[in-house]
Amino acid sequence: KTDNTNPYWVAFKSVADEMKLKLDCRIFPGGTDSRYVRRVGIPAIGFSPMNHTPILLHDHDEFLRADIFLRGIDIYVKLIPAVANV
Amino acid sequence: MTDYANEPAVANLRDYLRIRSVHPNINYNECLTYLRRQAVELGLPVQVVEAVPRKPVLVMTWEGLEPNLPSILLNSHMDVVPVFEKSWTYPPFEARIVDGVIYARGVQDMKTTGVQYIEAVRRLKSRGIRLKRTLHLSFVPDEEVGGHNGMSEFVKTDHFRNLNIGFALDEGLASPDDNFVVYNAERSIWHVTVTCPGK
Repeated sequence: KTDNTNPYWVAFKSVADEMKLKLDCRIFPGGTDSRYVRRVGIPAIGFSPMNHTPILLHDHDEFLRADIFLRGIDIYVKLIPAVANV
Repeated sequence: MTDYANEPAVANLRDYLRIRSVHPNINYNECLTYLRRQAVELGLPVQVVEAVPRKPVLVMTWEGLEPNLPSILLNSHMDVVPVFEKSWTYPPFEARIVDGVIYARGVQDMKTTGVQYIEAVRRLKSRGIRLKRTLHLSFVPDEEVGGHNGMSEFVKTDHFRNLNIGFALDEGLASPDDNFVVYNAERSIWHVTVTCPGK
């Protein structure tokens, strides 16, 4: 759940706000391993820090800008302690 | 233009992208070798679970200050979907960098995310930071073929239950605009088998 009843989400969201990341919550258009994790009762969020990137998964010429990759590390450096210190 | 090739995190990502963990009939040994090396560098213990033979799940664990609390799972899958190599501008398992852009199968889905978890932990540890909750980094097989021999079976094991996970992160999708997309649910998947007996 992405509301105040999930303290991990609250921590996730507050870090995103602090870093001024614009979040867009949606239903995943396909299926990932998260469905098995959720099925056993564990809240799970699907998140890959790749904005300004065309959606090319499974496509030819799948690519990612190196600076977007490095920025993603910066994001996890803040995000991981936030959810792990709940 | 920054010379990203000399950036250690980028070099580390490219090493992972060069492993041909591509469907079908994947041998995950090379991924395990790569990930074990990462864990040694991070100073983290590793466990490998085969809920299904030859479909290993590797878990690196960073124990928290309060290890009895529910833990955090950072999950990623090791496999990638096939390629039509002739349709690629650059070889899909070379991880070439052109004008600051990395071209490779798996660079969006989702080897990058796995390496980002590793690099973030590396940086936190190097700063002497300790976390309250235990962190588990899991690397699972066969997500791209439905996870039936991967995460689906792993979650049923005692090993998984013993990780005592309270919250998990896994892959999302790229977003062409300024936003970061967050997924809190998925569509139901209904696979339909069509049999064409021919004439």
